[in-house]
Amino acid sequence: MFKLPKEVVDLINDPESIKIVATADEKGNPHCAVKDFFTLLEDGNLAFAEEFEGSQTNVNLVRAIWFAKNVELTVRGKDGTTYQIKGKPYKYFYTGPLFEKFYLAAREKWGPDSELAGVWVITPEEVKNETYEVRKKEEDKKHPFFRHLDRSSVRRTKIQNSKSEISN
Amino acid sequence: MNEVIHELSFEEVAKKYPDFPRTVIRKIDTSLRGVILTEKALEGAKEEGAFYDVSHDLGRETHKPVLGEVFFRDGTYLLGLNCEESRLKGKPYFLDLIDGKLWLLDGENLLEEVYFAPVPAFFRKKTSRGTPMIKVISSKVPNRISINIFTYCQFFREKLPCKYCSYMANGSFSRRKDEIHTPESLEDIYETVNEILEEEGKWTNINLISGSDPRGMHQSGAYRGNSPYENEVNEYIKVLKTLQRCFATQRIPAVNRNGSPSHQTVQGSLPVNAIASAFPREQQLRLKEAGLAVYISNIEVWDKKLFEWICPGKAKYFGRQYWIDSILSAVEIFGRGNVSTQLVAGAELAEPYGFKEMDEALASNLEGVEFFARNGVYTTFCILWVDRGSVFYREKQKLPPLEYYVKLAQGINKIRKKYNLNASYSGYRGDGFHLDMDLARLAP
Repeated sequence: MFKLPKEVVDLINDPESIKIVATADEKGNPHCAVKDFFTLLEDGNLAFAEEFEGSQTNVNLVRAIWFAKNVELTVRGKDGTTYQIKGKPYKYFYTGPLFEKFYLAAREKWGPDSELAGVWVITPEEVKNETYEVRKKEEDKKHPFFRHLDRSSVRRTKIQNSKSEISN
Repeated sequence: MNEVIHELSFEEVAKKYPDFPRTVIRKIDTSLRGVILTEKALEGAKEEGAFYDVSHDLGRETHKPVLGEVFFRDGTYLLGLNCEESRLKGKPYFLDLIDGKLWLLDGENLLEEVYFAPVPAFFRKKTSRGTPMIKVISSKVPNRISINIFTYCQFFREKLPCKYCSYMANGSFSRRKDEIHTPESLEDIYETVNEILEEEGKWTNINLISGSDPRGMHQSGAYRGNSPYENEVNEYIKVLKTLQRCFATQRIPAVNRNGSPSHQTVQGSLPVNAIASAFPREQQLRLKEAGLAVYISNIEVWDKKLFEWICPGKAKYFGRQYWIDSILSAVEIFGRGNVSTQLVAGAELAEPYGFKEMDEALASNLEGVEFFARNGVYTTFCILWVDRGSVFYREKQKLPPLEYYVKLAQGINKIRKKYNLNASYSGYRGDGFHLDMDLARLAP
């Protein structure tokens, strides 16, 4: 199985990082949802909690597991480090020990009237670093003529106080 | 069924219907062919807490294992377990443990990874009266609690059972010494429900189930008096009143029969469905007032002549039109979306009087589904089981082809969408018997 790098695992396990699940409906319309409970399982799969059975994310995930479609998870840390993980839904639990673990965590966070429909397990197939600085370097190398010429890395000298000149 | 028809195999059906989820086709096929656990799989079930030997609770000397459910990866129920006393179609599937994972096999071919759900903790507990809780609540599935209202069916006693039914013939866990509920058995229900609600994140649904008892106070026919099926309703109300003590629903202002406000209050809806006989309006109102949220009354077979042949008890008490009228009347009381009925799909193909062609049978079923949908009633269907103890078992009736169920599920799903109806209380998580509800998972 594809193994996620340690930096990605740490980001996933960081409760303060933002996690987004992207899925598509029957017609290919995208749908993104922020998810609170994410974890990496011992077998290398990712698990996250789905709050509502009738949510668009859940419906799209059912379609994805039935018809072998991909989903995408984006995780972004406090310092802007961002990874995109492509994968396929592997399992859905609404009973059993993994579900109970997430259910109790949701109760602790949202209180005794909280709801949790199930836990999706995703098998990662590909990971990509989407952090701004990393992507900029990649793009500069790949598409040097897409760069703006006034960027500091392109132009020899930089005009000082250009902002104040305009305002004057 | 016409025996010369070539029945498509699983792969042929999956190829012919590429938009129909393979997992759901496989589920139908497991129901038709049955599933046998290998010794290793059984050991796996024990290790995962998905096995319970109920023999002691039932006072039996021989082992009586109860398994937690088995699911496909997507959470779809695998059907066809405990198939030892059923007539099946073709060779059964196997469940085996391979490299630490549970697999569904066809012969030696690994087909699908599946997983066990553990049995609930209440199985091992007793009420303060010493009653094993597994005898109080018959459910073993996750999400759904099932409570038997009473332990007999009057149609069986009069030798008029529905021909596919084995309710009275097979030993139910919840057989009690007393046929109807006593204050003590109701207290057992109260204790058990409270206990199982301690298992966090387990349950979403309560089903009340029973056989039929048309006795009551009917003006005409065998049972004279005021209202048919009153005995059955009385028992439902006893249990509903017991459940009122377990849930936080408030009493709400009542409305008089003429629609004007009343100074009295009635119980707010409890999270409870009744799978009941066809009750007259006044009895349905009593159930509503006791807090019943959902009323499910099963027509079983839509075709008029076949209904009378296959469900002679229902035909006698008090006929197909009475059952239909009762179901429609319930919509006014419980509301659109809170009433459903069910077809035992495949019974209408039984020999010698059943439909000879699949398409005729489908057309009949879908006519019924559309009729009910137009009137705000959702129709589910279950796969025919031919279990020991039923008339159909004795008659060696055959099961319909796999493709029949795929076409029926598609047809019902189309009608469900057209009328924007749903029946999440009978949803795929409840017991897995309703294939159309599997397809409803794609409805946000």
